[in-house]
Amino acid sequence: MKAYISLVSSLSRVLGVIAILLVAGAALVVCQMVFVRYVLNGSTVWQTEFVIYALVAATFLGSPFVLLEGGHVNVDLLPNAMPRPVRLVMNVVAGLVGLAFAALLAWSGWIYFEEAWTNGWTTDTVWAPPLWIPLAPLPLGIGVLCLQYVAEILRPFAGNGRKEAIL
Amino acid sequence: MTPLAIGALVLLALIALLAIGTPIAFALGFVSIVTLMVVEGTGSLSILGETFFGGLASFSLVSIPMFILMGAAVASSPAGKDLYLALDRWLNRVPGGLVLSNLGACSIFAALSGSSPATCAAIGKMGIPEMTSRGYPKEIAAGSIAAGGTLGILIPPSVTMIVYGIATETSIGRLFLAGILPGAMLTGLFMAWTLYSCRRRGIGLSDVTERFTMRERFEVLPKVIPFLLIIAGILYVLYGGVATPSEAAGVGAVFCIVLVMVIYRLWKARPLWAVLRDTLKESVMIMMIIGASELFSFTLSSMFITQSIAAWIADLDVNRWVLMGVINLFLLVAGFFLPPVAVILMTAPILLPIITQAGFDPYWFAVVLTINMEIGLITPPVGLNLYVINGIAPDIRLSQILRGSLPYVLCMVLGIVLLCVFPEIATWLPKTMMG
Repeated sequence: MKAYISLVSSLSRVLGVIAILLVAGAALVVCQMVFVRYVLNGSTVWQTEFVIYALVAATFLGSPFVLLEGGHVNVDLLPNAMPRPVRLVMNVVAGLVGLAFAALLAWSGWIYFEEAWTNGWTTDTVWAPPLWIPLAPLPLGIGVLCLQYVAEILRPFAGNGRKEAIL
Repeated sequence: MTPLAIGALVLLALIALLAIGTPIAFALGFVSIVTLMVVEGTGSLSILGETFFGGLASFSLVSIPMFILMGAAVASSPAGKDLYLALDRWLNRVPGGLVLSNLGACSIFAALSGSSPATCAAIGKMGIPEMTSRGYPKEIAAGSIAAGGTLGILIPPSVTMIVYGIATETSIGRLFLAGILPGAMLTGLFMAWTLYSCRRRGIGLSDVTERFTMRERFEVLPKVIPFLLIIAGILYVLYGGVATPSEAAGVGAVFCIVLVMVIYRLWKARPLWAVLRDTLKESVMIMMIIGASELFSFTLSSMFITQSIAAWIADLDVNRWVLMGVINLFLLVAGFFLPPVAVILMTAPILLPIITQAGFDPYWFAVVLTINMEIGLITPPVGLNLYVINGIAPDIRLSQILRGSLPYVLCMVLGIVLLCVFPEIATWLPKTMMG
């Protein structure tokens, strides 16, 4: 169980690093776009879409890392006011709810991705990249989010009670 | 089952899930998709991925991570401290100058960071010890910073306002303008109360000031002026119609990082990486809530819940100010428990039709809503700023911080009342500048 938790957590960290690089890249591309548009008076083709999809990708790929770090904001007043066994039950139930939603979203995202892939859909802009590329981070990132959720639910029972409150 | 009954069930389920500590984004998403599947069959599952993705893939959302990045860069540097030092050196001859400097620094820093806890931490780290060491009571020192910090979400650029603009499809540029005068008004009210309460406690304000030479005064300017220029630049770009909020935010963020690197010599990879990591954490958290609330409002409107609530309230035919009072009370209670962004995303799609139907201005309402959220930040049980102050000034007890912030809550309530009597405080500037 400990091996699973640490393996999945490392995977989430790797995706987190990719997500951080995407955010930084998006900021730089916005500057390049502004420079081309307003200083050189040129026109931009791919920048707007790239920035949008980079940040959407960062959101999906970064979400397991943010779960690991306890960053998905919640209201923990009631659980914290409860005795430990009750709190543990609440954490597990809350974790299962999160896991259920993440699983549905990952599955539905996979269907959407697969449709875009098999039908060769592109985005409806001049640049028109294949739609499956920006869609891929949805099933991938949210899929890992599911794995991380399982890890977070298991964590209090793995003899490491340190992070039990973050579910 | 009528739409209203379904709506009530959805609300109850949501409250239950939030109460046991489910992250807001997942609780919202779960309630929405389960409702859709129960009422319209499992086929509705296929729209889940598309709605979530579509809700996030928009250029106006780009401004959120970018403004967060800008705020994180500034907050990681000692810029807050310098801003505060500069104001103190220039205002030291004014009675109560130190408190005024703190509140002024809060409102300027708010314009740089767009986040309330960040403003609180940046100014309070230096400001609170300085105020207590120069003889101001602990309650006033802690309370004024807690309250001053809340201005972060009202004074533009504000992430909270962007989220409101996206949830209600209103102009972000106009929203920013609408926040400026109310922000200045609240700063003024906070200052007035602080001076009054110092005087009432018999604190001789001229005794607690220090003298500075002109040299000392000019020394601090080079570190502060570039950041002020960035604020001015962003406002100019937005209102000169030069670029969109997202473009201004992206350029502002990169400028701020470069400035922090140049002025404070933060070349090392580690602090820069920390800025990016904090940005990712905050923006992923907000974006997931945005995606889930997209699904939530889609569910509510496809079941005619939103429309039924609006129609039901119209049928009640209550006085519009009674209605506004009830809405405010509701928002206030929600703000006690939930962060501003979540409250806005969950309630704005439902409240906006009701508000406009009753003849209120959506930009004016954004300001009232935001001040409500500010109150939630300095009141228990989940007042984020209170805990920030508690973290940076461990020698001040939470009860003292609370007692100190309470008068400022009343200042904010007074601010809301003033806005109701003179709505022009919020609507005049956008009307004059953008027609």
